[in-house]
Amino acid sequence: MSAVLVPGEAVSEIEEVAKTKKVVLGPGLRRTNDSVLACKAGVLCKKAPNMFWIDSYQRRYVPVRGECVLGVVTQKAGDIFRVDIGAHEQACLSYLAFEGATKKNRPDIQLGDLLYARLVVASRDLEPELVCVNSHGKKEKLGVLNDGFVFNCSINLVRKILNKNCPLLQALQREMPFEVAVGMNGRIWIKAKTMRETIAVGNAILATEFVSNDDIRKLCENIGNILFT
Amino acid sequence: MGSDTGDDAYSDIHLRALNCEVNPLTRSDGSAMLTQGETAVIASVYGPVEVKTQNLQIENATLDVCYRPKTGLPTITDRSRENVIKRICETAILTALHPRTSIVVVIQELENRSGLEACAVNAVCLALLNGGIAMKFTVAGVHSILKENDEIVLDPDSKESINALAHFTFVFDSLQRNVVAVNTQGKFNMAQYNDALTICRAASGKIFEFYREIISKRPV
Repeated sequence: MSAVLVPGEAVSEIEEVAKTKKVVLGPGLRRTNDSVLACKAGVLCKKAPNMFWIDSYQRRYVPVRGECVLGVVTQKAGDIFRVDIGAHEQACLSYLAFEGATKKNRPDIQLGDLLYARLVVASRDLEPELVCVNSHGKKEKLGVLNDGFVFNCSINLVRKILNKNCPLLQALQREMPFEVAVGMNGRIWIKAKTMRETIAVGNAILATEFVSNDDIRKLCENIGNILFT
Repeated sequence: MGSDTGDDAYSDIHLRALNCEVNPLTRSDGSAMLTQGETAVIASVYGPVEVKTQNLQIENATLDVCYRPKTGLPTITDRSRENVIKRICETAILTALHPRTSIVVVIQELENRSGLEACAVNAVCLALLNGGIAMKFTVAGVHSILKENDEIVLDPDSKESINALAHFTFVFDSLQRNVVAVNTQGKFNMAQYNDALTICRAASGKIFEFYREIISKRPV
């Protein structure tokens, strides 16, 4: 594990790399003149050869372009919907941004519906904008989510369970069938056959917040017994 | 920061015991309960959140600081503390990263056994670190008093500070240990002020070291 950084600290490791090649600074790092400073508290992470970022604890979502989020429709205003994605501002979603939608054929969206959508505009100076289709006009996994159960968690937990190395979701799917949609804004939607199973999956996800990947693997070995006893 | 922050460097500096509980509030974006000796404060941070139109700033995030006293409504002293902490946060936070938003800081006083302002500043700083708010630097508040025998006492408890001639509260940044804010009360001369400043500046390193310890203990 790399060093712990506190805001204001210069990161000499990156400055060394920057002497010979270009570096990419991710979240939590900023450049002032010739030095690289940390602006968030956390652990310095590196992806070879030249990408750096700080992994810090966060609960509030700050929109990032291209991320998938879970949102609730709060308002229908003419040809756009306003969607609450947990950021500082409501995101907008055009009614044409659904598969097969035309001006005549509007999608059936009601107030309070839960959506899984992708951010196409997310700049600090612009209102975030969502779409429910990919670039080919297909909906794929995006769109309205019916039934199921939603809960909030920290953004770190979302990143953790979406990581390829995290064995949690694979272990859970061996135990029982369920659907899950994980939004990068710290919201998770689960739909299982019974309420009991839904709660079990939810608790299993929340329990991994402060557990390392190795320990998750150990827990997953007898996850069925833990969840249903 | 390097070599000047080793344990040996602080062997002659006696601050009251620092204890911190990370994220005691489950629903805020970041919170911290800090106790310095018997003085205790909870600070919580929400943000960046939606901003009221009247407070909206096009270029920067708006800071909204709310100080809650132990009992009753906020008095004039409390409002002045609130304002000082707001100004300190404005210098420390990179507000330009989140224009047209608001960052809300709520401070709840739990127990005042002297050094409350310093404790509140430190608690707010820890809450901002826990909330993942981007900052230029961290800040540390240190309290000291001038006693009748011309002696400067660092971070005294309430019993010691009864007969103090003057109170000093300094806030330092983590970069060059420059003074971000000063609050003084009572009668003193320039030499005594400089003495207090030197002692408090040295002690601030211990608080910055404490922040680092808290962050590294926190599982990510």
